[in-house]
Amino acid sequence: MPAITEVWKVLFKRPFTNRFPAKYAPRSVHGFVRRVQAGKAKIAPPVPTPPNFRGKINYEVDKCIGCGLCIRVCPTKAIVWRTVEVEQGEKKVAKKKVKIFVSRCCFCSQCVDICPKDCLSMSDEFLLANEDKLANELIVL
Amino acid sequence: MCELCTLLAGIIGTLVLGIFAIAFGLSVKGIDRKLSARMQWRIGPPLRQPFRDVRKLLLKQSVLPKNAVPWIYNSAPVISLAALISVLLFLPIGPVPALLGASGDIIVVLYLLIIPGIAMIVGGFSSGSPFASIGAQREMVLLISYELPLSMIVFTFAWMYSIVAPSLPALSFETFGTVPIWSVLGPAGFIGATIFLVVLLIVTTGEMAKVPFDIPEAETEIAEGIFAEYSGRNYALFYLADAVKMVVLPAIIIAIFFPYNLSPLLSEYFPNLPMSDWVAYGVDILFFMLKVLLIDIVAVTFMRTAFARMKIDQAVRLYWFHLFTAGIIAMLLVAADVMGVL
Amino acid sequence: MEMSDEALYTIPVGPVHPALKEPIELDLRVEGERIVGVDVKCSQAHRGIEWLGMNRNNSIQNIYLAERVCGICNVCHPYCMVLAVEEAAGIEVPERADYIRTIVAEMERIHSHLLWAGVAAHEIGFDTVFHYTWALREEIMDAIEYVTGNRVTKGIMMIGGVRRDITKEREERIRKALRYYEEKFEKIEDLVLHDKTIRMRTRNVGILTREDALKLCAVGPVARASGVPKDVRQDYPYGAYADIGVRAILPDQYTGEIIGDVYDRIVVRLLEVKQSIQIIHDALDNIPQGDIVAEKNLVKLLSMLKRAEGEGIGRVEAPRGEDIHYVRLRQGEEPFLSWKIRAPTYNNVLPWIPMLLGAEIADVPIVAASTDPCMSCLNRVTVVDESSRKEFTLTKERMHEMSVRKTRRMMRHV
Repeated sequence: MPAITEVWKVLFKRPFTNRFPAKYAPRSVHGFVRRVQAGKAKIAPPVPTPPNFRGKINYEVDKCIGCGLCIRVCPTKAIVWRTVEVEQGEKKVAKKKVKIFVSRCCFCSQCVDICPKDCLSMSDEFLLANEDKLANELIVL
Repeated sequence: MCELCTLLAGIIGTLVLGIFAIAFGLSVKGIDRKLSARMQWRIGPPLRQPFRDVRKLLLKQSVLPKNAVPWIYNSAPVISLAALISVLLFLPIGPVPALLGASGDIIVVLYLLIIPGIAMIVGGFSSGSPFASIGAQREMVLLISYELPLSMIVFTFAWMYSIVAPSLPALSFETFGTVPIWSVLGPAGFIGATIFLVVLLIVTTGEMAKVPFDIPEAETEIAEGIFAEYSGRNYALFYLADAVKMVVLPAIIIAIFFPYNLSPLLSEYFPNLPMSDWVAYGVDILFFMLKVLLIDIVAVTFMRTAFARMKIDQAVRLYWFHLFTAGIIAMLLVAADVMGVL
Repeated sequence: MEMSDEALYTIPVGPVHPALKEPIELDLRVEGERIVGVDVKCSQAHRGIEWLGMNRNNSIQNIYLAERVCGICNVCHPYCMVLAVEEAAGIEVPERADYIRTIVAEMERIHSHLLWAGVAAHEIGFDTVFHYTWALREEIMDAIEYVTGNRVTKGIMMIGGVRRDITKEREERIRKALRYYEEKFEKIEDLVLHDKTIRMRTRNVGILTREDALKLCAVGPVARASGVPKDVRQDYPYGAYADIGVRAILPDQYTGEIIGDVYDRIVVRLLEVKQSIQIIHDALDNIPQGDIVAEKNLVKLLSMLKRAEGEGIGRVEAPRGEDIHYVRLRQGEEPFLSWKIRAPTYNNVLPWIPMLLGAEIADVPIVAASTDPCMSCLNRVTVVDESSRKEFTLTKERMHEMSVRKTRRMMRHV
């Protein structure tokens, strides 16, 4: 019965659990977040992300040529068309760009692979939880 | 003293004991959960989590299943908790002698200990869920199995006292306190009593229905069994009963095996210490609480962490065959010692 | 003595029950604690994945859909699917890609088996082993994240190869994880196989005889634990397995006998963890240089697949057993013309009946868990009566008739 001795050994070990974001669940998550923003509480650091992690998507609008390939391969249809008015000399021209709904994104980075102009990339930001799926932080323009 | 005064003293004593047992039991539960978590390489909940659980359960609605028999279903948790608190009235709590020690002895305690189990069985059957029925059947079988080793221990010692101290009442916890069993036993009896202690610890785990004997509840098999339908206030009362059990059962072990107090020892070794009676009382109660905690750590925390759940037939075999055999051996050892054969 | 019918009663285990992590319904007829009748009712978690693949998605999108057939087998399903598509479209996979696929698939097997060991321990109330194995599993999860970019949905498969190369640093990270498991393996083995209470709960419980395993077409560790040396990696090697040479693991290599009970299934899975460590080492040692994907330009690949016509079958040994994907492509159409998934749980659910008959109620969770069931892989159809919106059962005759009709419909496309 190996567990009999093992449990006493483990009792004096530091727990394996990562303490992110706090050791115990805070009474109110909003209150905790506010306290952290005010500098009164500290967030225990999460496990660091490895290089080439697939986090929230970055989009450089200016480089985009509006080819729509990302829309074609996106498995969750998180990318949709968007028209942007761009000033070109005197007159305004409507240009095709995309809009990415991060709340639908499945972080496969297929759009990054297919983009011919490399205007899409994946950051290592992963703390994206939100109550509103259409919040400004969750729509990449 | 007038009769009314006795009655009043009894009521106040019961209230104080009940509140003490619930508060202490919930704290022990918190420590148990924390230690068990640490043994499992986790952080675990904060120590006050059981208090929060009870508060939350009390706020929740108590659902009555369609097939349930309401009056049995609702009274089972109350009876369970009440019976356990009344057990405490017959047990010495550290330096405090049993409140009703004069009107009941070990036999009463043994009977009262069965009541929570029976209340759970009746409550389980009355809730009209197939899972609860299976749980109740299992609890019934378990109840029968652990009673045998338990009564064997108690009656061996009662018999022993009737031989070594014929002037004292054999079945009273008072006797266990004044003449601790270890002081009257020789080497053979010492081994026998140690075996009894181990058996009693395993019986305690079964009585508290913790892994490996949480067979009537068995979350993954029958979805908490007996408690499958219980919710809200009713479930909170069962929860409290479980917490009180974590004080009552170790208190019995303490009364039988470790009826020692710390204050006489302290005043002997440190005669300069200002030991008023009240300080001595406080020290002894704290010492009692420490003993309860240690027994809970061995009989509950360690047991439920280091073993897998047994099947009901395996548990019965363990209690009736292995523990019974161990008990017989221990009984013979104690008997041989007392009779002077060895 | 004849039991009257009143003494028997039915216990519904599921569709939602703590013993089951996913919805399936087991109707047990019990007599006291003994089970005398078992009825399995599947199809509680239909999601229409094949329909999506045949109507909404193009081939590349389908990789990610296949990844989500099951959260744990998220390499086997896309692996299987891309094998089928490659066969249908006639794409040759570079050898390096084959090796990388093998490595990732074996890493998944390690994590899946450790996860299973924890779940099985939880089912018999041994939460300590559950927490230990899951804590040990973190190392391989971190290695997977380092190599593929994500812990769970790895997104590494691509039609014609893989999406990420195994660089020097990634190889180091994998080796580190393998060393960790070589060190810890003894401890895991000790905790799980040498524990008396676990033995008490699993030895001679849920026995599946060799005959039943063959008759009911059990696959994967369930079949191997019953003494059927069946392993796609051995019988029909794909990826780099042919170079490495994998032998099916039978429990008698460890215990000396084959009983076919739950304990044997634990043994097989734990030995497979060891085997996987060895396979990854071999693959890393012998990995050839070269491209990792047949067609780098995804736009070209998409149009190539649109032009392709044909059918293909992928067979992969998932941690739970043999996984089969059938894919048919038609020229000029982006979605698959047909896509059929046969997940391993599909075969491993029926063996529950011989395993559970005569067992006790207490055995249900561990026996059910011992096949490592994955309902989300299994369920693909729910029959609903359109007019009343109620589910109904199909008779055998009606099933036969419908099947004949569907075959005729499909024959028209050929």
